[in-house]
Amino acid sequence: MTEEKKPEERKRRKTATEAASRVGPMVKAALAENLRAKEEGRPIAYSFIYSGYDEIIRAMDIVPAWTENYAGVCGVKRDAQRFLEKAESENFSRSLCTYALCGLGFDSWREETGEMPPNPPWGGQARPTVMLGSGQIICDPRYKWYQAAQHYMPDVPVYVAGLPYPPYEDDYDYRDVQGYYVKYIVEELRGLVAFLERHTNRKMDWDRLSEVIDISDRTWNMISEAYDLRKAVPCPMGTGDAMNTMVPMTFMMGTQEAYDFFKDLYDELQLKIANREGVIPDEKYRLLWGGGLPSWFALTDFNYFNSKGAVFPAEVTYRLVEPVYNLDLPRVSDPLEHLAWRWVKYWAYRHDKARKRPGSNPDVERLIEYIEDYKIDGVVMHEAFSCRSWHPGLIWQLNQLKRIYRDIPSLILESDIVDISSYNEADTRARIDAFIDTLEAVKSR
Amino acid sequence: MPEEAGSRGLAAADRYYEDYGSRVRELKKQGKQIIGYLCALTPVEIIAAAGLVPFRIKGDVNEPITKADTEMETIVCPLVRSWFDMSLKGKYEFLDGIVIPHACDSISTTYNVWKNTLNLPYSHLINMPHSTDGPSLKFYKALLNTFRTSLSKFTGKEISDQSLNQAISLYNQNRAKVRELYELRKASPPLISGAEVAKLLIASVSMPVEEATLLIDSVIKEVKQRGGVLAAKPARIMVVGAEVDDVTFIDLIEDSGAWVVADDLCPGAREFFDDADVTADPIEGIAERYLRKIKCGRTFREKKGDYDDYLEERFGHIGRFIKDFKVDGVVLYIYKYCDPYGFDVPAMKSYIESVGAPVLYLEDEYSMSTIGRLRTRIQAFLEVLGSK
Ligand code: SF4
Ligand code: SF4
Repeated sequence: MTEEKKPEERKRRKTATEAASRVGPMVKAALAENLRAKEEGRPIAYSFIYSGYDEIIRAMDIVPAWTENYAGVCGVKRDAQRFLEKAESENFSRSLCTYALCGLGFDSWREETGEMPPNPPWGGQARPTVMLGSGQIICDPRYKWYQAAQHYMPDVPVYVAGLPYPPYEDDYDYRDVQGYYVKYIVEELRGLVAFLERHTNRKMDWDRLSEVIDISDRTWNMISEAYDLRKAVPCPMGTGDAMNTMVPMTFMMGTQEAYDFFKDLYDELQLKIANREGVIPDEKYRLLWGGGLPSWFALTDFNYFNSKGAVFPAEVTYRLVEPVYNLDLPRVSDPLEHLAWRWVKYWAYRHDKARKRPGSNPDVERLIEYIEDYKIDGVVMHEAFSCRSWHPGLIWQLNQLKRIYRDIPSLILESDIVDISSYNEADTRARIDAFIDTLEAVKSR
Repeated sequence: MPEEAGSRGLAAADRYYEDYGSRVRELKKQGKQIIGYLCALTPVEIIAAAGLVPFRIKGDVNEPITKADTEMETIVCPLVRSWFDMSLKGKYEFLDGIVIPHACDSISTTYNVWKNTLNLPYSHLINMPHSTDGPSLKFYKALLNTFRTSLSKFTGKEISDQSLNQAISLYNQNRAKVRELYELRKASPPLISGAEVAKLLIASVSMPVEEATLLIDSVIKEVKQRGGVLAAKPARIMVVGAEVDDVTFIDLIEDSGAWVVADDLCPGAREFFDDADVTADPIEGIAERYLRKIKCGRTFREKKGDYDDYLEERFGHIGRFIKDFKVDGVVLYIYKYCDPYGFDVPAMKSYIESVGAPVLYLEDEYSMSTIGRLRTRIQAFLEVLGSK
């Protein structure tokens, strides 16, 4: 395998907040920590964001390696193509999740040569001790990716934790079934703890787990309160920055560092509001990022929106928390049970609200809520071709929003999360320009 | 049943296949309620026990997808898009409801689209877990009980254990018939072609199970009677993939000079080879069957033993088919955007090769437009097989 010439890396995107600009070094430090853990023989777990087990890993002092993050890093550095091609040469379809393909290409390469692929972005991704998947209606790669990775690392054990949440249905209420959902999740998480104790030389310290969960609950609240500040006009922080601040939210949950980060963000945003300092000085259009993972290699598109007077005060993507005090959680003594209740209640958060509006559902309800709370003029979504988790259903949500709420300008961008060959900057920007024209026309009506 | 004599045998299977849904359309007129469902992981026994007719939604390779894209993304697997397109075009106007199992992303993340666009009186998602461990089975049973309650709310009638047991035994009889049918494929040349089997099995999931069993039985009798009429061909092929509900692809292989003699497909061996046990609580046997027995890529099996054991656990049934049906080569036929099978390709391919069968891996889009390209690849593969 020859190393290809790397496409030119972009210069760093300008962030609106100081907090967001701190994230790059944090990711770099986390990856360095993984490599150090490897050298020191500490256990490393390949992990998925948003799998409800962050606190367990932290409490057991296992080092998480967020494989989606590493693929995203390759995307941001515009150095994913060689790993995608490697995966393709292994017979993985290019239509599959490109995070997974990037990871599988990387892993199969590393296992084949016994060393990191040449010049890996930020030092590379170390061989894991265990791989932790999950089973839920979020995505199939959560149980297929690591199973496929095992083909190259047959000795690395995989655990798949069932983490379902009740669907929104017409003929029953989630409260009718939440009991058995919670029970199941607790058993699966207990199974995870046992698995980790078996395959790493770590023991669960249950008091420590409760402490970690306490930190993460407080972090959930702090994030929610900080993000709520973005309702201000002018808006002090946009979605472009949120694609950075998602890092401590998704990759560092349960750490004091994450809590402190969002406390700092909160303070920074308050200061900006006091000084009437917005992302852009002359805010013309307030947009909602209504769904879809971003193109990591093209985050500067957010700056392009800004240059046209548009700002994104809110996004659905990666806003993976609600204030814990609003979730109506029962008081329980078992920390795993708390995690399970938080998971189920988070997912059911807008069920009651949706029921009050005929034709609505929790996803549509969330769009409506953000449109109202953040004074939104238009909705932008991104259809990433390789990810069937967050992306199917977006068209319907948008259609339904217009049918049951109001006609609001909208734009669906099409590309990918990692695969840059699916992206055309000129086309994308032409579509953004046309959308801005529409917004203008609607405003001046 | 109407057309007593004419509703039997290969010609009837052909007709039910070509005019897919014709039987339930008649039943609808007689006042039956029809429940559409997606994928072999829907526990049809429960629907039948409720006195409803389960009807498998089918796509059409020959019908370009034109309507679906207005409500459903093109990144959904082309099979699901075709199903949805056919539904939107009014092909299944007789449906009273829809049941969708949490099979894969393409199926379950579009549940809201199905539910809200078709706007049928009944809809239900069965949130099936991915793992097969004890807690997952218990959870799945709870889900099936919720489904049971939900269906009885819809019909206004309790679903008794007795009616469940009866449905289980009717479906088991049906599956036994399919296994008997497969015996006819073991001869060389086979007594029944792959295309004939495919049409029959696809037709069979479009009608009440008792009728399907009679239909399959009549085909077995007809085929036995006609004896060895199929010409000898140089290769015996097994097709492995997700759901293939259109005969075009099987025809393509058989027109290229081979017989398709075995499969791991739905409708096909994956769907019909395992029974539901009759258990004290009927839900138990149903849950076991769908979660643990059906070997589909969407179900995660935990690795026990070493990696070779693991491959055997996941794909051993394919190896047994290759041996029992004297398969010369395997075609892995996987749709673009299919996550459960797409991620399995390298492991599955290396397993099949390790048991001695050459593999052709084809990625396809469930559309006539790709047929030419597929034909070339298949012919090349058959040539290689022939020269061995
Ligand atoms: S399919 Fe989507 S959600 Fe799942 S791992 Fe890939 S990018 Fe993430
Ligand atoms: S072909 Fe694959 S993606 Fe499509 S419905 Fe079947 S399992 Fe799901």
